Amino acid sequence: MVKNQNFLTEVESKQLLEKAGIPVVEAKLARSKKEAISMSREMGFPVVLKISSPNVVHKSDSGGVELGLTNATQVGKAYGQIMSSVKQAYPEAQIDGVSIQTMAPPGVEVIVGMSKDPQFGPVLMFGLGGILVEVLKDVSFRIVPVTERDAHEMIKEIKGYPVLEGYRGQKPASIPALEKLIVKVSQFIENNPQIKELDLNPVFAYPDKAVAVDARIILE
Amino acid sequence: MFEEKLKEFEPIFYPKSIAVVGASAASTKAGSVWVSSLKSAGFPGIIYPVSSGGGRIADLEILPNLRLVPGEVDYVIVSVPRHSVLELLDDCVAKNVKAVQFFTAGFSEMDTQQGRKLEEQMLEKARQGNMRIIGPNCIGVYCPEHRIPFPMGTPGESGPVGFVSQSGGIATKLVTIGMTRHINYSKGVSFGNGIDLDASDFLQYLAADPKTKVIGAYLEGTRDGARLFSTMKQIAKTKPLVVWKGGRTEAGAQAAMSHTGSLVSSAAIWSSMLKQAGAITVRSLEELTDTLLVFQQLGHGQGTRAAIIGGLADGGGGNSVAAGDACMENGLKIPPLSFETKQKLIELVGEVGSILRNPVDVSQAQFRGLSTLFQAIDLIVRDAASDIVLLQEDVEILLPIYSRKGLEEINEFLIELARRQNKPIIVVLPPGSVEVERLEIEQILLAASIPVFCSMERAAEAIYKLDQYSRWQEAKQSQSQKT
Repeated sequence: MVKNQNFLTEVESKQLLEKAGIPVVEAKLARSKKEAISMSREMGFPVVLKISSPNVVHKSDSGGVELGLTNATQVGKAYGQIMSSVKQAYPEAQIDGVSIQTMAPPGVEVIVGMSKDPQFGPVLMFGLGGILVEVLKDVSFRIVPVTERDAHEMIKEIKGYPVLEGYRGQKPASIPALEKLIVKVSQFIENNPQIKELDLNPVFAYPDKAVAVDARIILE
Repeated sequence: MFEEKLKEFEPIFYPKSIAVVGASAASTKAGSVWVSSLKSAGFPGIIYPVSSGGGRIADLEILPNLRLVPGEVDYVIVSVPRHSVLELLDDCVAKNVKAVQFFTAGFSEMDTQQGRKLEEQMLEKARQGNMRIIGPNCIGVYCPEHRIPFPMGTPGESGPVGFVSQSGGIATKLVTIGMTRHINYSKGVSFGNGIDLDASDFLQYLAADPKTKVIGAYLEGTRDGARLFSTMKQIAKTKPLVVWKGGRTEAGAQAAMSHTGSLVSSAAIWSSMLKQAGAITVRSLEELTDTLLVFQQLGHGQGTRAAIIGGLADGGGGNSVAAGDACMENGLKIPPLSFETKQKLIELVGEVGSILRNPVDVSQAQFRGLSTLFQAIDLIVRDAASDIVLLQEDVEILLPIYSRKGLEEINEFLIELARRQNKPIIVVLPPGSVEVERLEIEQILLAASIPVFCSMERAAEAIYKLDQYSRWQEAKQSQSQKT
C-alpha cells in the first residue's frame, strides 16, 4: 500500500488528459453499488470496474479490477467483490468507490510513460505492453519536448516494432495516431511541470486511432 | 549560431599573453612544464612565469607575484596548491585577467564538502571580477594555430576538427592519435570539473568557430542537461557532432518510472538524448577517432554502396569473404559489379582463382604484373554500382611478391587514382608481421588524404556513421524548408 496524496486517481488523471486532447477511454467514479449499476447502463455494456483509491497503486494485484461485465447483475456482484478483496488486502486504504468505463475492444497494447531524469528533466518512454516491456525491457526514450519526428523514431526504435505492423491476423496499429498521442503527451507535460510521473498503461492502438485505457498521474 | 562566443573566447584560444602561476625554476613542476611547452611550441604572445621563489625558466624571468606582471594578462594557467587559489583569483581580478585555467585539482571531484565549497567561492570571485574559469582539475586549451600545446606535448598540424573533453588524459590521447592518423584539430579543450565554462559553452564556441567543421566530444556528465541537450540539438544541424559518453551516472530513484522503474537507466537516457539531438554516438576512443577521420577526409556521406577489393594478391579469397561480412554487418551495401565490368575483369585477370562479383578478389593479377592490377582496380573504382571503394592492402603479403618498390608504385597509383576521380577510396591496412613498412604506407596514404583503417569493421562503421549523418542532415533541412 502506498500512502501518497500526490497520486491522482484514474478518473482525475483521465479528465486532465482528455482536456489536453489525449484520447482516453472515459472513466466515471461510482460511489455506491447503485451508482455503479446506473452508470454502467448509461455507458453501455460491456463495462470494466476498477477500485478507486489513492492508496492502491497495483489495482489488479489486489483484486480491484473486474473486466467484461455484460449486465447489471454482473456489475452489482463485481462491485461487492472488489470492495471486499481490496479491504482485505489494504484494510486501511481510503476507498473512493469504483471507476467505471466501457470495455475497450482489443487492440495492440502499448505503454507511454514519463518520468523526470535528474540531468535532462522530463523523459518520455514508449514500449509495447506486457512481457516485452517487463521482461525484455524493449523500450525507447526521448526527452521532452518530443517532436513528431522524434515520436516516429521512438516508435520505430523498439525491437518489437513489427508487432505494431500487424502479425498473425492481428490488425496493424496506426503509427501516426501513436505519434500524435506521444506529441500530445509531451505538450501536456511541458504545460504541466508539476507532474512528476505519468503512466498510460495500457494504450490500445487500433488501425485508425490510439486510446489510453488506463492512466495514472503523480504530482510533485 | 552562437557568434557572440567568438569574441568572448578570443582571450582563451588566442590570448596575447599567458601567465603561468606555479612555474618555478625546478623544471619538473607542472607550471614549469607549461612554460617550456609554450616556449618550445613557439607561442606568439608573451609568457609570464610566476612563482614566489623567483629565478629563471626557459630564458624567462620568473615574477614573484601576478600583480607584478608589467603588461596585460589575457589568460592565466594555475598550478598552485588549492589553499591559495582564492588569493590568486583576487590577483587575477586586480590584473583584469579574462580567463583562468586551473590545473590545480582536489575540489568537487574529491566529493568533499570542502572541495565543493571552495569551487563555489572561486566561482563567486570570478563572476564578480567578470572573469571566466576553465576547470579546475584540467589541462585547458589546445590551439595549434596559436601554438598552444597541451603540457609536455607539441602542437600538431592545424585542421578542421574541434574537440571538447572532460578528461585531460583523453584530450591528450586525441591529440597524439591525431598526429599519427592525420586528424588535424582547429582547437580542443579539456575542462575538468567545469564549474564555470563547461561542455555547452565550448561546444557553442566550436559551433561558431569558422575554422571548425567537425566536432568531437568526450563527456562524463553534465551539470545542466537541458542546456547541453538544446545546445547539441542546435549544433548538429550545421556541424557533425561526434560524442563519446564515458562512465555511468546515478540513475537515481527519481528517474524511475512507477511500473517500469528499473527500466530507466541514465545510460539509456544519455544515448536517447544524443540520438534525439542528432549527435553521432561512439563508444570508444578508437571509434571516436575513426569517425572524426572520415568526417575530416570525406566531409559528406557519398552513399553506402561499397565496392570491396578484398584481395590484391595471395590469400584474397578468405579476406574478401570476411570483408563482405564486416561491411554488411556494419550497415554498408555490397551490390554486385555491373556485367560489363565483370566481363572486362575476366579478360584482364581470368576467372579461375578470382572472385568477380563483390567483394572482388583480383589476386590473379599478381601473375600478370602491376599494370594489370592497376587496370583491374581502375575498372572496379569506375563501376557505377558503387558509391565508395574499400580496398584491403595486406602489406605482409604484398611485400614479398612486389618488393618495396612495387609497394611504393601501388600506393602512388592509389593516390593518383583518388585524385583523378570523385569516388572515395578507403584503404584497410591490417596489422601483421611487417609493421614498419605498414606504418610507412599508412603515413603516405593519410598525407594524401586517403582514410586508412586497420580493419574493415572499423572502416565500415565509420563510413556508415558519416552517411547516416548526411542523410539525417538532408532530411532535417528538407523538413525545415517545408515548414
